[in-house]
Amino acid sequence: MTAYIQFLIDVLSLGGAYALMALGLVIVYGILRLVNFAYGELIMVTGYTMFLLGGSALPWIVMAAIGVLMAILAGIATDYVAFRPVRAKSVTAVLITSFAFSTLLQNAALLFISPRPRNVPLPDIFSETVHFAGIVTPARNLITIATAVILLAVFAWVMKRTVLGIAMRAAATHFTMARMLGVPANLIISTAFAISGFLAGIVSLFWIGRIGSVVPGIGLEPLLVAFIATVIGGMRSLQGAVLGGFLLAFIDTGLNYSLPQELLKFRDAFTFSLVILILLWRPAGLMKGPASGQRT
Amino acid sequence: MLDVAALELRYGAIRAVRDVSLTVGEGELVALLGANGAGKSSTLRAIAGAHKPASGTIRLNGENVTNQSPERMVRNGVAMVPETRDVFPDLTVAENLRLGAFTRRSDEAGVDEDTQRMFRLFPILSERAEQAGGTLSGGEQQMLVIARALMSRPRLLLLDEPSLGLAPTIVGRIFDMIAELKSGGLTMLLVEQNAAKALAVADRAYVMRSGEIAAEGTAADIAAASDLKALYLGG
Amino acid sequence: MAGMKDTALTLVILIALVVALVVGAEIAEIRLFGRIATNLCISLVLVLGLQVFMGNSGILSFAHIGFMGVGAYTSAVLTIPAQMKGMALPDLYPVLAAIQLSPYIAILIGGLTAAVVAALVSYPLMRLSDAAAVITSFALLVVLHTVMLHWSEITNGPRTLFGIPKATDLYLAAGIAILAIIGAMLFRESRTGLLLRATRDDETAAGAIGADVSRLRWKAFIISALFAGIGGALWGHFITSFSPKAFYLKETFVILGMLVIGGAPTVSGAVIGVFLVTFSFEVLRAFEASLNAAKIFTGQVVGVTEIVLALAMIAILILRPGGLFATMEIGVLFGRRRQKASEGEKQ
Repeated sequence: MTAYIQFLIDVLSLGGAYALMALGLVIVYGILRLVNFAYGELIMVTGYTMFLLGGSALPWIVMAAIGVLMAILAGIATDYVAFRPVRAKSVTAVLITSFAFSTLLQNAALLFISPRPRNVPLPDIFSETVHFAGIVTPARNLITIATAVILLAVFAWVMKRTVLGIAMRAAATHFTMARMLGVPANLIISTAFAISGFLAGIVSLFWIGRIGSVVPGIGLEPLLVAFIATVIGGMRSLQGAVLGGFLLAFIDTGLNYSLPQELLKFRDAFTFSLVILILLWRPAGLMKGPASGQRT
Repeated sequence: MLDVAALELRYGAIRAVRDVSLTVGEGELVALLGANGAGKSSTLRAIAGAHKPASGTIRLNGENVTNQSPERMVRNGVAMVPETRDVFPDLTVAENLRLGAFTRRSDEAGVDEDTQRMFRLFPILSERAEQAGGTLSGGEQQMLVIARALMSRPRLLLLDEPSLGLAPTIVGRIFDMIAELKSGGLTMLLVEQNAAKALAVADRAYVMRSGEIAAEGTAADIAAASDLKALYLGG
Repeated sequence: MAGMKDTALTLVILIALVVALVVGAEIAEIRLFGRIATNLCISLVLVLGLQVFMGNSGILSFAHIGFMGVGAYTSAVLTIPAQMKGMALPDLYPVLAAIQLSPYIAILIGGLTAAVVAALVSYPLMRLSDAAAVITSFALLVVLHTVMLHWSEITNGPRTLFGIPKATDLYLAAGIAILAIIGAMLFRESRTGLLLRATRDDETAAGAIGADVSRLRWKAFIISALFAGIGGALWGHFITSFSPKAFYLKETFVILGMLVIGGAPTVSGAVIGVFLVTFSFEVLRAFEASLNAAKIFTGQVVGVTEIVLALAMIAILILRPGGLFATMEIGVLFGRRRQKASEGEKQ
C-alpha cells in the first residue's frame, strides 16, 4: 500500500510540473499555431535571476517572485524578438527565429555568467522530508502537487470566467473573428506569452529546486518534456496538455520503477519514438483542440 | 456615415474587387447584392478591417479608417455579423455574447443589461445560454451572431449573408429581425444573395458583378429593373 | 527562365569558389588556413545536404545532424585499427572488431548507412507538415542522440571515441564538396526536385497534378541523409576523436544558420552561407581569443560567435526572409547582368 502511495506522490508531483510546463507551451501554440523553441530558456531565466539575487538579503519568496517576473518579461520579449516580426511570413521562419532566440539566451548566459553550474538559493522547506503513514517523501514534492492543483484551478477559472480568458479561447479557435469582435490581437498574444512565462517561471522554481543549480542548457529537458506532453495530450487542447503532462509523468515514473537499468538509459529514445508514433497516428495529438482553426 | 471610394482588393495576383465606391447614410439600410463570388463579402470584410485594401479609401463619419485593424473598427462602432458558422463552437452562448461586448468589458452593468435585452429579443438563446455554440441549429447560430454583434452597441452593422443555408421560415424571421433593428434606427450594410428579401427591407441597393459595381439605386428602382436576373447572371 | 546555361554557369561559379579556397589555402601555407578550409568544405557537404531536403520541400528538419552522427560512427567503427579497438571500444561486438576497412570505402558506407536509416525511419513522417513535421524531426534527433549516447558497444557511450585514422585532407574534402554542389544542383533541376519545389509553393495544387508529396519528400530526405552521413564520416576522419555531443543542437544551429543566412531555397545560398558564416566565425573566434588573452574579463569569453550568428539569423529572417539567395541561383543573376550589359552595348 505504501508503495502505491509513494508511486502516486511521485507521479502527481512530477505530473504537476509537467502539466504546467505543457500548458505554457500550448497556450501560445493554440493561438498562433507556432511552436516556441525558446520556451525552455524561460526556465533558465528564472534560474539565473535567482542566482543573481542569491547574495541579497531578500526573503526567498521575494526572490522567487522576481524570478517569475523575469520569466514573464522574457516570454513577452520572445514575442517581440522572434515572433512578431516574422509571424506573417512563414511557419519555418518563426521556428528558426525562436530557435535562434533560444541559442541567443543560452549563449548570453554562457558569456555573461558562466558555463559552469551556479547555485540557486532554495527555501529550507525544499530540503525537508515529510513522514506520514509510513511514507517518506521530500516536502518539495507535496508543495509541487499543491502548487500545481492551485494554479490549474486558477487557470481554469480565468479561462472560463474572465472576459480575457474567454477571448483567449475564442482566439485559439478563430483569431480573425475574435478580432472582428474587438479583441486586440496584440493583447491576446502578449497575454499568451506572459502566461507562458509565468508558468515556466513557477515550474522553474521546482525544477531547479530538485537540482539546486542552474546551467545555460537547463531549458532543454523541460522543453522536451513539454513537447512530449503536448503531443500526447493534443497540441491545441489546454485540457489535453494537462492530461498529457500527468500521463507522461505516469509513463516516466512507471518506467523508472519497472525498467532494468540497462534499458532505462534509453528511456528518452522510447518516449520520443512514442511521440513520433502518436503524431503519425494523429497529427494534432490525442485530444482534439477547438473545432475549427486557422493560422493568422 | 460610411463612405467607400475606389476600393480595390487583391488575393495574391487576383483582383477580387476593383473600383468599388459606395455610401451608407445615417439610419439607412443599404443592400449589397450580387452573385456568388462577385466580391460582396470581400468588400464587407475590408470595411470591417479584416482584409487590407490594395488601394482606395474607407471613411467613417468623415474620418479615414482605411488601414485600421479589425479590433479598432469595432471600437469605431462597426460590428460584423459573419456567416453562420463563425460562432465560437466551444464557447457557450452566454460566453459568445459576453465576447461580443469585449470593447465595453468595464461596463459590467451595461453588459448584463444588454445580455438580458438580447435574451428578450431572441428567447431561444436564453434557453440555450449554457449550451456550446457549436451545438445550435443553423438559425439559432445566425441569431447568436447577430446578437453577439449587437452586444458591442454598434453604430454601423455589417451583415454577411444572414439567410445563407437557412430554412425559408427562419429566413423570414431573420429579415423581420433586421426590419426591427432598422426601425430602431440602426445603420446597416447588408450583403445578400437573396435579392428579393433584401430589397424588401432595404432603402437603397448596389449590385456587384465580377468585382465591380454594376448598378445602384433605391431598393424600389433596383427591384423594378427588369434585368435584375441578367445583372446576376452576368448577361 | 533558368535554363541549362544558367545552371552550368551557377555550377562553374560555385565550384570556382571552392577551387579558389583550396588554392588560397595552399598558397598561404599556413596550417590554420588549411584547417579552416577543410572544415569549410565539410560544412559545405552538410549544409548542401540540408538544402536538398529543406530548400526543395520547405520543411525544417532538425534530424540532419543526427544522420551526420550515424555516418561518423559507422565509418569510425569500420576503420579504427583492430589493435586499438580493444581500448577505444572495449564492448564492441566481436563481428565488427575484426573489420578494418580503408577510410575511403568506410566514408561511403557511412553515407549509405545514414541514407538507409533515413529511408527506414522517415517514410511515414513525410506526410506531416508544419508543427507536427518539425516536432517529429526534433524527436528523431533526440532519439538518434540518445542511441548514440547509450549504445556503448558501437559508440563508446557518452565518452569520447578516439583512434579514428586521419584520412580527410583538404583535397578530399574539397573534391567531395564539389561533388555535393553538383549533386544538389542536379537534384534541384531533376524532375523530383522540380515537383518537390512545386509542393513547397502549393501542396494542394501539386497534389492535384498527381505529385505524390510524401514520396518526393522521402527521396529528398534520403539524399539529404546521404550527404549528412558522408559529411559526418569525412569530419570524423579529419578530427579523429569525437563524442555524441558533437551531433546535437549546437551543431544543428550552426548548420541551420549557414543555410538560412545564405538562403535555403537555392544551392548558391547554401554555398555562400557556408563561406560567409565560416569566415565570420573565424574572425569572431580570433576576437574571442584575443579578449581571453588580454584577460579583460575575469572568466573565459565564450559564446560570442553563437550570439552573433543568432542575431544575424533573426535579422536575415526579418529583412530578407528567404536569405541572401532566396529565389535565384547565382548563375541566373550573373547571366541577367551580362545580358543587360550586352543589350546596353547594342544601344
